[in-house]
Amino acid sequence: MARTSADDRLRRLLAIVPWVAANDGPKIADVCARFGVSQAELLADVDLLQYCGVYPFTADVLMEVRLEEDRIWIQYADWFNRPLRLTPEEALTLVASGRALLAVPGNDPEGPLARGLAKLADALQVDADEAIEVHLGNVPAGMLDTLRGAIAASRQVELDYYTYGRDARTRRVIDPWDVYAAEGEWYVQAFCHAAQAERLFRLDRIRSVSVLDRTFDPPATLPPRRVFSAEEADARIVLDLEPWARWVAGQYPMEAVEELGEGRLRVTMKIAEQAWLERLLLRLGPGATVVEGDTSVAPAAAERVLRRYTGTVAAS
Amino acid sequence: MADRLERLLNLTAALLEASVPLTADDIRERVPGYPADAGETFRRAFERDKESLRHMGIPVRTEDLPNADPPVPGYRIRREEYALADPGLEPDELAALNLAVATVQVDGLSSGDAINKLGGASETGDGPAVELPSMPNLGPLFAAAAAGAVVEFRHNDKDRVVDPYRLSFQRGRWYLDGRDHATQEPRSYRLDRIEGSVTVGPPNGFERKPLTGRGMLPPWEMGGETPMAALVRVDADQAPFACDTVGREHVATMHDDGSVDLLLTVSNRDAFRSFVLGFLDHAEVLSPPELRDDIIAWLQGIR
Repeated sequence: MARTSADDRLRRLLAIVPWVAANDGPKIADVCARFGVSQAELLADVDLLQYCGVYPFTADVLMEVRLEEDRIWIQYADWFNRPLRLTPEEALTLVASGRALLAVPGNDPEGPLARGLAKLADALQVDADEAIEVHLGNVPAGMLDTLRGAIAASRQVELDYYTYGRDARTRRVIDPWDVYAAEGEWYVQAFCHAAQAERLFRLDRIRSVSVLDRTFDPPATLPPRRVFSAEEADARIVLDLEPWARWVAGQYPMEAVEELGEGRLRVTMKIAEQAWLERLLLRLGPGATVVEGDTSVAPAAAERVLRRYTGTVAAS
Repeated sequence: MADRLERLLNLTAALLEASVPLTADDIRERVPGYPADAGETFRRAFERDKESLRHMGIPVRTEDLPNADPPVPGYRIRREEYALADPGLEPDELAALNLAVATVQVDGLSSGDAINKLGGASETGDGPAVELPSMPNLGPLFAAAAAGAVVEFRHNDKDRVVDPYRLSFQRGRWYLDGRDHATQEPRSYRLDRIEGSVTVGPPNGFERKPLTGRGMLPPWEMGGETPMAALVRVDADQAPFACDTVGREHVATMHDDGSVDLLLTVSNRDAFRSFVLGFLDHAEVLSPPELRDDIIAWLQGIR
């Protein structure tokens, strides 16, 4: 076991002492479980408490620790009768986590979490609704529960899935392994029977999901969680960006960025999917010039979108 | 290290007990475990201890002694600044918060100490299902928003003075929503574009004015152009995503085939065009003709 520093032990004691003092002789095992500390660590720390107090360290200004059978009492610890206030980071962690979980579809907006969060915010003098807002990404109601249920029961599911990068809809059967939110989106990690490999699916691109009767054997260990990224892509493009299109360099991962003067930039980036590049180039229009890579992508996409406008009568 | 822990505990008790600030000499005499000489060794040990306490969030104040001339620095901890106000959590509420921090992981920030301060954890879940990235200034900005303290920072190469209203996590990124002092306009700042650290002013430094609606304005409403009502049709495949993005209240018509017409207010044409083109050929501007022609001309320019 790694040795715990004096700072970490103090931090822990300042939380344990008020709790034990406020409870009439709790079981030592309960204290250990509650604060995530071994019995040996706990006993070593509280042993020290008996020598702690204030000047002149006579019996009346020392703390008292009493151990009887499997129970523990701490008395005369008035300096430490309340836990230390939360640091800003701790308050943030609690409130952000609580708000994030409340935002998950299906959570009871008036349940214990909402009540606990409201009380905590009160004590911290924070307006939780005002001070923080967490959006984890869009999930159709019920889908999260369906997928979680399928994962728990090791049942295969069939997805009607929209592949954004290829701009296409497909039906596929998957073995769902894990569902999680990361970097603002919800993902299900699964074995895809169509691809015969592990694949990642974004929940907001699943049009419908149905749980099948067939079961599967989940892997003993899950592969690491990941998110969609262009890192695996081989295709590369080099673009010259006009000054007003410089934001692209801050928005997406870049392999290289070069200043061309007068506010113009030359950027090199990896391209995972054609449709993604089409969107980017259509949005940038004259703001981007393809220096290296397929120069026909933008005109072809523009032509396709234009076809939608020609021959359609405006509604008003 | 038992003796250092003992010294830190006694030091904390002494500083909490003090009704007037204690000088460094008082502390050396009253807290066991310090070198007897008031020399450099003591000074270093005391500085290190003070730093440790402050680092874990114990508010050790430095105050000048009353009636001392020349001024003599003293130290104390005010109880009201030290203690966590009791939120009075019921067991099921504590368990729910516990589950929340077990489910939602803020990268790099441990939640164990926070839960311990609230009375400890009873159990943990099966690992986080949600990961929120952390940013260097997240904690201080949250505290500033909660306390109503004006903040100053450097963002996109400009020095900003901002009334921080709230932290907002959207599309995988943290933003600070607030009011910019220079423009007196509401604004969002991406936290990863803040350079260096944030300077936080005194609490209650500004008055909150209501921000417009829920969250900040969508990009196509953030502009100085004369607002125009635009109707956009989005195909069935993309409709759920589009509705979530713009908000259900902007859905003008839902067609039988699953496609939707969205009614948007546009005061920034560039941003509007960018939004519509993100749907490729799955969306179309129906009206007004002016905005429709704008898209057509833009696309013709690309051919």
